[in-house]
Amino acid sequence: MLKKKVAAIAFKGFALLAALGSALLGMGNQAMAQDATMPYPKMAPIDQYLMADQDAEIALAQSAAPESISRDAEVQVLRRLGFETAVKGKNGFVCIVERSWTSAPDADFWNPKVRTPICYNAAGARSLLPRNIKRTNLILTGRTKAEVDETIVAAVDKKELPAMEPGAMCYMMSKQGYGGDSVAHWPSHVMFFYSQTDPATWGANLPGSPILAMSDDHEHLTEFAIGVQHWSDGTEAG
Amino acid sequence: MNRSQIHTLLLSAFAIVVALIAASSLPASAQDAKQPYSTMAPVEQYLMDRDAEIALARSAAPDAISNDASVIVLTRHGYETAVEGKNGWVCWVGRGWMGMFDHPEFWNPKVRAADCLNPPAARTVLPYAYKRTELLLAGHSKQEVIAAIKAAIDKKELPPLEPGTVSYMMSKSSYLTDNGDHNGPHLMFFQTDKNDTAWAANLTNSPVLSVNYWYISAEAYPQLKAFPQLSVFLVGVDKWSDGTPAHACSSAK
Repeated sequence: MLKKKVAAIAFKGFALLAALGSALLGMGNQAMAQDATMPYPKMAPIDQYLMADQDAEIALAQSAAPESISRDAEVQVLRRLGFETAVKGKNGFVCIVERSWTSAPDADFWNPKVRTPICYNAAGARSLLPRNIKRTNLILTGRTKAEVDETIVAAVDKKELPAMEPGAMCYMMSKQGYGGDSVAHWPSHVMFFYSQTDPATWGANLPGSPILAMSDDHEHLTEFAIGVQHWSDGTEAG
Repeated sequence: MNRSQIHTLLLSAFAIVVALIAASSLPASAQDAKQPYSTMAPVEQYLMDRDAEIALARSAAPDAISNDASVIVLTRHGYETAVEGKNGWVCWVGRGWMGMFDHPEFWNPKVRAADCLNPPAARTVLPYAYKRTELLLAGHSKQEVIAAIKAAIDKKELPPLEPGTVSYMMSKSSYLTDNGDHNGPHLMFFQTDKNDTAWAANLTNSPVLSVNYWYISAEAYPQLKAFPQLSVFLVGVDKWSDGTPAHACSSAK
């Protein structure tokens, strides 16, 4: 229901964030029946999700935030068994290129082309990133989407995965990357993470609001997104 | 709005944030010498027509938010509720003195900073604004106001900051500062982080700016150093509350 409401709002008038809203709507981890028309009904061979050129993956990950931030950030790259640290950081930020199963609309859940650069601040790296790392590890060991969702939710409930810390946020300001077939290029934006918060508290998803939000009741997670006016390199975003 | 313009706003006298990062490197005496607003103007200069003030306050956020918000207006003795809302938000028009205590436009009577606070901010940021305003309008000095606020904090008469505070400042009609275009749409977030780098604010090309809520430099009012850490983070947005686009962006610097 929430998804439908948000979709209606997003597609009505948020020029800048419409695409982002669309993408966010598909990011929920609620188990959904796979549509028979989905172009990516199952996982592709793992190689298709990997980037052969580690330097290219590092550069793409770092492009998520201005260089003033990402140059001192830790960078993790995807390997066959999960993410590994490729660059040690010193400012608490962690930059990473997330793949479809954590960062794309449902239709693109198994889309091997998805590359989503994100730089988490320290609080985000401690609180949200572990979920995405765990999800990735489970996916790479062959678990189904439903199994992964169930495991993540259980881990959150048992507090094996942490709640969101105050001030947890991330930068998603890369000009590059690929968000999926439905939203190939996400608008430049920042996101803020809270443990289950009513989107209305921030005035999100209301007509004219510059804030979009998605709540995942199962993971007790609310994500707020705000479009920003420049890419990470300082050039004007469209 | 480019970074420079946002910075100008952040460095200006608009409600609650009002920072002066650039000027913070200046000695207090140098700032004082340049201050065009060294004392309070006659109180009438800070007051507005009530209906106009309600409309201006509401213009801080999209109608979907402000139509159901409470609205407070300034009187000779402080803010009072003009409209009872039903969504927990409070819209108001801040004056120059909601800026940092050492801000050069603290007493600028032209400042009209329309602002809509979400429920956590209304509960935990607004009480500070009430207190400050009432004391200043009663004729107390800045030193006295600072001491009174500190005492109220210590006695827990003023609340600690709740998480999740947000403020909309998207009015086309605000006057935030004498500088630049005087205005620009943005959102603000209040945090108790001791370290502004938590969000990587103020770094080159970062879309996030932040300042200390209380002062530019504690040199003029060193007692502010003992206040609870309170940072204000700002993110510029590209539309006014009525949905029209803000002036064209240019390259961030």
